[in-house]
Amino acid sequence: MQLTKKTNIAAQLATATCVLLGSAQTHAAPTTSGEWQFDTAILYYGETDRVSLVEGVVSATKDFGDDHIFNGKITYDGLTGASATGAVAQDAVQTFSRPSGKGGYQVAANTTPLDDTFRDSRVQLNANWAQPFSSGIAGGVGVHISKEYDYFSAGLNGNLSFDFNQKNTTLSVGSSFQYDQIDPVGGKPIGLSSMPMRPYSDYDDDDEQSESENSDEFYDSAFTTQYQSREKSADKNTLDVLVGLTQVLNRRTIMQVNYGLSVADGYLNDPYKLLSVVDTTGVTQDIVFEERPDTRTKHNIFWQTKYAMNNGVVDVSYRYMQDDWDIKSHTVESRLRFNVGESGYLQPHFRYYRQGAAEFYRPFLLANEALPEYASADYRLGEMTAYTLGIKYGQKRANGDAWAVRLEYYQQNPQNAGFAEPEALQQQDLYPSIKAMVLQFNYSF
Amino acid sequence: MKNKMKLALITIVVSQVVGCASLGVQPWERDLLAKEEMALNAEGVDLSLDDHIYFSKEATSGGRGFAGGGCGCN
Amino acid sequence: MPVELTIEQKNGHIAGRFFAMASDCEILVDSTDKRIAGQIIESLYTECLRIEKKYSRYRTDNIVYQINHAQSARVDIDTETYQLLNLAKTCYELSEGYFDITSGILGKVWSFDGSDCLADKKDVEELLSLVGFSKLNFDQTSITIPAGMALDFGGIAKEYAVDRCANKALALAPEISVLVNYGGDIAVSRPRLHSAYWQVGVAHPDPQKDTDVLVQIAQGGLATSGDANRFLLKDGVRYSHVLDPKTGQPIIDAPASVTVAGDNCTQAGLLSTMALLQGKNAERFLVEQTVKHWCIRLSHL
Repeated sequence: MQLTKKTNIAAQLATATCVLLGSAQTHAAPTTSGEWQFDTAILYYGETDRVSLVEGVVSATKDFGDDHIFNGKITYDGLTGASATGAVAQDAVQTFSRPSGKGGYQVAANTTPLDDTFRDSRVQLNANWAQPFSSGIAGGVGVHISKEYDYFSAGLNGNLSFDFNQKNTTLSVGSSFQYDQIDPVGGKPIGLSSMPMRPYSDYDDDDEQSESENSDEFYDSAFTTQYQSREKSADKNTLDVLVGLTQVLNRRTIMQVNYGLSVADGYLNDPYKLLSVVDTTGVTQDIVFEERPDTRTKHNIFWQTKYAMNNGVVDVSYRYMQDDWDIKSHTVESRLRFNVGESGYLQPHFRYYRQGAAEFYRPFLLANEALPEYASADYRLGEMTAYTLGIKYGQKRANGDAWAVRLEYYQQNPQNAGFAEPEALQQQDLYPSIKAMVLQFNYSF
Repeated sequence: MKNKMKLALITIVVSQVVGCASLGVQPWERDLLAKEEMALNAEGVDLSLDDHIYFSKEATSGGRGFAGGGCGCN
Repeated sequence: MPVELTIEQKNGHIAGRFFAMASDCEILVDSTDKRIAGQIIESLYTECLRIEKKYSRYRTDNIVYQINHAQSARVDIDTETYQLLNLAKTCYELSEGYFDITSGILGKVWSFDGSDCLADKKDVEELLSLVGFSKLNFDQTSITIPAGMALDFGGIAKEYAVDRCANKALALAPEISVLVNYGGDIAVSRPRLHSAYWQVGVAHPDPQKDTDVLVQIAQGGLATSGDANRFLLKDGVRYSHVLDPKTGQPIIDAPASVTVAGDNCTQAGLLSTMALLQGKNAERFLVEQTVKHWCIRLSHL
């Protein structure tokens, strides 16, 4: 017998025998298209005295039969609050211009300078399609676009997976390309150039908005020209390649190892980040914009293992990252799921993260030294450790819906990567910790 | 010679049937791995929310998936 | 193996054994409660005998005999028979005519005794006119088959009995895992509570081996089709006892035995039979269907 048509006989027989046996089989053949499945979540993230974020996600998935699966996702987030600019605290009041150049703000003595103009909302759309191609080969494609006030991102990705060894081994390869465009408020500052200062010392502290927006007439023309001559936007391209191997070890254990390469090219600065230039005693002489290299190549190794216990799941992962900015990081994460009762589960979450500083990271610059080619005081490029402790409780409802709530605590402890501090800075906290709470509610139906 | 081949063949088959020789499981032993919570991308919404937070707070991103963040938060 | 049912306490489970459908049958119950296990085993034993009695082609008091001897007359059928016919029809269509429950009649002119006696070509030609599922006419309540033709549920009934019994066990005791093993065709009602899988011995597919093969199974079905001791050998060609219903000739170069793991025993059994019908392409067919399988080829030559 040589069949002319290559049909999935096994699946059709599974369906036919189910009809015959008149029973709900444990593995009903998924040949018919299913219902839409919605996963929704709302998350609140709040740092003490800093940024707070509300993020909502609606994800919709539908199986159109034979594992042809579409997923669409919409994410909205709203961000408010202040974030560290990179400038150092001083024992006197400091004055900064707002990124727009319209108005400024003052920072009290012995206080870490924060830019509190962050008020942004972002919408992101994702769409993904996945399907099998032939025996043991499956693939998928996806797109995303994301828009916020000063930022636009669009990306394309694709992946292929190959099953071997009775589907106990899966090799997957994927690639993504992303285009990002930033239109910084006030234009793109020139790296390591001095922050323009208004000629008049009428900076206010708190309710600057109403007043400063009407104060254009007071600007001296040289000051205004500095903003007008700036380029309005900048962009970058990011190419990712990901190769992964998944292996079923035994009836209870599955393991995954990924290697990821990510190459970014273009404008990689944060246009709002600053550095203080201090004299040998630690007193600020100048404030300059940061400057980073215009390429970055990252290598990621990711390992994950999941183990099925009789009453839960152990999930452990480790990630190592190294890039050509000389940042190295280690991430260890674990989730332990304990089933509670018939349909609930309790899941503690632990995460530990450690990173080294980028080679051009400087907590401040010294006025008596030549300007380096690149410099950034962004705490995210400095040395730090961070940990997360969380707990999640979830439950399946009788009608098949599921809900979950999780509460997490995140603390980030930046550290001195070996920089000697001039006298005036020794009494300042140059590496303030960030403490944040996360509260999230999920509902799936 | 032929007899030898037969023996070798059956040994392999039998060891597969018993299922103790090779890495992995038989299809009927997938009861635990087939559970939703054993999927490597289980709780996908949580994972992507976490990725977004850590992407905007740390120098590392990706690993589990692509490193691109799609936002201007870093 | 006794013909009558015996029940005995084993290490951690209770086993029932009997002989039916020309096979050694066993039912393993994942419980140490003799009363409950006894009820399950007796109920399944009764079900097994019911199906054997109803669909055996060696009896004269059942629906199969009535249909095969109706001489073109219409015969009333019940829902169960209709559903089995429907499954047979699905298999006939999926296999493009190779899986055919009317082909058993060809066996009249073939005796697969390991000898080199091939059937006479003319005899085969004559019988071929009496083969073909598409010549049947049936609906939910009745069937009409041309005189001289015969149905043989042998390729379905045993696996069907295994699944029926496993389902019955699940209905009787949803919390208890029960393994049904009728001559190596196996189904498990649900995963065991305290152990990862059942371990059962089945006859080695190679008749020259008298050892059992140990099979571990957690859930789903397992079935074996084979011709290990039923074949013809002539001029170095091995003729399988499985006949091609289109030519009336045996399938050449089929594996001696094909074992398939599936969602249930009936599906596994149908897949293993279809694989045998593929002859030398049996393994490729199973790989394409992405089912776990074991093919044994013997080099008797």
